[in-house]
Amino acid sequence: MSIEARGITKKFGGYTALKDVCFRAETGELVALLGPSGSGKTTLLRILAGLEIPDAGEILIHGEDAARRNVRDRRVGFVFQHYALFRHMTVFENVAFGLRVRPRKLRQPERDIRAKVHDLLKLVQLDWLAGSYPSQLSGGQRQRVALARALAVEPKLLLLDEPFGALDAKIRQELRRWLRRLHDELHVTSVFVTHDQEEALEVADRVAVMNNGQVEQAGTPDEVYRRPANPFVYNFLGNANFFRGRIHRGLARIGAIEIEAPEHANAQDCPAVGYVRPHDIEIDRILSGKTAIEAVVRRVRAFGPLVRLELVRRDNGEPIEAELSAERFESLKLREGERAFVKPRNLRLFLNKPE
Amino acid sequence: MADYSIIDHRMKSATGEPPAARLVLIVLALSFLAVFLFVPLAAVLAGALRDGLSAYFKALAEPDSLAAIRLTLFAAAIAVPLNLVFGVAAAWAIAKFDFAGKSVLTALIDLPFAVSPVISGLIYVLLFGLQGTLGPWLAERDIKIVFAVPGIVLATVFVSFPFVARELIPLMQEQGAEEEEAARVLGASGFQTFWRVTLPNVKWGLLYGIILCNARAMGEFGAVSVVSGHIRGSTNTLPLHAEILYNEYNFSAAFAVASLLVLLALATLAAKKLVEWKSRQSAGEPG
Amino acid sequence: MTIRLKRHSVLPGFGLALGYTLLYLSLIALVPLSGIFFKTAAMNWDEFWNTATAPRALASYRLSFGAALAGALINAVFGPLVAWVLARYHFPGKRVVDALVDLPFALPTAVSGLALAAVFSANGWIGRFLEPLGIKVAFTPLGVVVALTFIGLPFVVRSLCPVLEDLEKDVEEAAASLGANRLQIFWRVILPSLRPALLTGFSLAFARAVGEYGSVIFIAGNMPMVSEIAPLLIVTKLEQYDYAGATAIAAVMLVASFLLLLIVNLLQWRSSQKTA
Ligand SMILES: Nc1ncnc2c1ncn2[C@@H]1O[C@H](COP(=O)(O)OP(=O)(O)OP(=O)(O)O)[C@@H](O)[C@H]1O
Ligand SMILES: [Mg+2]
Repeated sequence: MSIEARGITKKFGGYTALKDVCFRAETGELVALLGPSGSGKTTLLRILAGLEIPDAGEILIHGEDAARRNVRDRRVGFVFQHYALFRHMTVFENVAFGLRVRPRKLRQPERDIRAKVHDLLKLVQLDWLAGSYPSQLSGGQRQRVALARALAVEPKLLLLDEPFGALDAKIRQELRRWLRRLHDELHVTSVFVTHDQEEALEVADRVAVMNNGQVEQAGTPDEVYRRPANPFVYNFLGNANFFRGRIHRGLARIGAIEIEAPEHANAQDCPAVGYVRPHDIEIDRILSGKTAIEAVVRRVRAFGPLVRLELVRRDNGEPIEAELSAERFESLKLREGERAFVKPRNLRLFLNKPE
Repeated sequence: MADYSIIDHRMKSATGEPPAARLVLIVLALSFLAVFLFVPLAAVLAGALRDGLSAYFKALAEPDSLAAIRLTLFAAAIAVPLNLVFGVAAAWAIAKFDFAGKSVLTALIDLPFAVSPVISGLIYVLLFGLQGTLGPWLAERDIKIVFAVPGIVLATVFVSFPFVARELIPLMQEQGAEEEEAARVLGASGFQTFWRVTLPNVKWGLLYGIILCNARAMGEFGAVSVVSGHIRGSTNTLPLHAEILYNEYNFSAAFAVASLLVLLALATLAAKKLVEWKSRQSAGEPG
Repeated sequence: MTIRLKRHSVLPGFGLALGYTLLYLSLIALVPLSGIFFKTAAMNWDEFWNTATAPRALASYRLSFGAALAGALINAVFGPLVAWVLARYHFPGKRVVDALVDLPFALPTAVSGLALAAVFSANGWIGRFLEPLGIKVAFTPLGVVVALTFIGLPFVVRSLCPVLEDLEKDVEEAAASLGANRLQIFWRVILPSLRPALLTGFSLAFARAVGEYGSVIFIAGNMPMVSEIAPLLIVTKLEQYDYAGATAIAAVMLVASFLLLLIVNLLQWRSSQKTA
């Protein structure tokens, strides 16, 4: 089942939490909603679920307007940011809830319900905790109970609000792989919210990046990472160095270097900013060719296979962050305080300034 | 094992008082409480048993005392269920929804706390009394409300209506609406959501509210006194009966009746502790 | 339509719950209460003013408000002491004491009145020790203060206890590490953080005491002009079938109580603004 949001606007009092948001998840897709805190991710998810009514715009479920379908019959599974487990029920009763509240005509016999709940608990590897109460579980376990509870009603659409938000890094990684596997097994259309770019890029089929109540860009992880639509997306998806300069007729001039920028062929001497990831910064001891920026090494953090350097530009004092392989660093024999020449690779140029 | 040493581990830390100061503070606080709480409480019980156990039970077995007990139970049996329904409805509306005028409504629920009990009785006399607004109309039809049982019930309902709502509102507000939303998404109907999710979550608070409501309903004096007309054997509740006996200098009987109400109060306090303990238990370890 | 009186929610039953709440509240409380003001409005102004400001009425307001203030002040001193001892120290029987602090909430006021009158009368368990010192409590205004202190105690203690329990130990430890002694810590760190709760407790105790009836009349002696509280004056007038007089005094008391609540809410709002 696909779900689509068209031109959704939502206000809380005078505050606009969502501005004309469009969003789409195809059948069987796993889509990540990525954005900083307060950007409206939860609000959008709640609107998709029918828990919140938008002030403008429409929700289409499988191409049909969902306005008249209330939460009960949208057949969505919702996993809440803070789990919202029923605290007076055991794990088993929590998972069984959705099956037991069905109208009598549609309800399965209790025996089938039990069998199904046990299967689900096995699926989330918690069958041994069936009799525990939510307060007796760890965060990760609660998370999986919440998921099992949502899956019990066989939703056509699974919405997860920061499913791994409250967990520590190691468990997050485990659970995110597990979620991907689960999704591949069940093939239920899923939207999950996160503010962790790594999580989004690693797990999702597609990513929608949100900021300030708007979707800034949507696409495959590779698209949004390689071709960010704007500075915000570039910044949000990883560490970034920026280089101020000017663009004139498809030629960018940044410090001492000139770079072709065919996408800005019409620019007339516009201020622009070039973004570069730290691993795309090339460093040399000597000037090879004339297009390099002179800098001084401020700090070296050498551990593991990657060496991180902090440099400062000679010409305008702006900092540069670079990542090198340990071998490359060895061969350069750079030390703190020494001079180096910097060349940006894969520069992404945007007209106007960053924030 | 509870550690009852007055000097505990804290004295070694930088922020504890010296043991002597602790002792002085404790003694001071307990003396204050003794004068204002413990001694008067003991005095009632001692007064009740002054003429011995058989006199005590004889005083309680008097027809007028029995009638007072019956009326007290009757008024509470009407007031408590009514206020229970009201409290649950009010708490549901206030705690789970956002709407205009919510804070005004919340403040209005506290009205009986802000109004003198005497005035709480007076309003019904002014409305239903012979000289009151509806008085002549009622008199024509030979309906007696004030100085009769209906007035007592009304006054009791009024003074005890905030208790259930007051207990539930903060509790339900704190728990938010997420569990209910989860239930709805899982397909539960409105009634199922309320019955299976909301109610079990607030049951201890609800119980405590009922206990407080009941204590107030059975113990109210001022408001009931104004509307009762003090008719022995027919419009006297237990507190009113104790007053009459006291004014007749029948002290041991007055205290015997009062001691019943003391037992009610002590049971209420014990129930409070129990409910606190239970709700802490069911909340489990925070995590 | 952009103006909505209620935010959307998937939870059901709002209309029913709110409707029932409003209906019940109106029938039980609002309509009867407004009767006082209609009745007052029906009196002519001179009549109202003469009744409401008769010397006997003025004396009763003075006593009700004065004794309530005195009782609340006593509680503002001893309440924090009791709360502190209960929140911070261990001693035998602490749990029983903790439970009994709520006794004035739970005990019917008539019983409190009987008990206090018995204990503080000249031959009572406490009165007999005060009598030789020339202190008469029962059947004097002092008795009213005692009863109102009794009534107000749990309001102050219960407002303070949660704050004292939540008060983080590390704030005190930080102050100690900065060289403050125990008294300075109490005065400069603990007391300021207690102030809003103390104010709340104090005003609740005061508001409750102003209208108190049952626990007072047994110990007060009820002499007009001396130890007659305003609620009692209302009852007295009612018993003489002077409905207009009773209503006038009730109206004054009601307005005073509402003003009081308003002031208290304003004060609390201001102090919460400061700490926020
Ligand atoms: N019920 C509400 N009433 C008023 N404002 C709200 C409400 N819900 C959300 N907001 C506001 O809308 C904005 C977006 O909130 P939302 O919860 O969608 O953010 P989020 O992206 O999920 O953030 P987080 O990552 O912190 O969970 C926030 O500024 C928030 O303050
Ligand atoms: Mg969120």
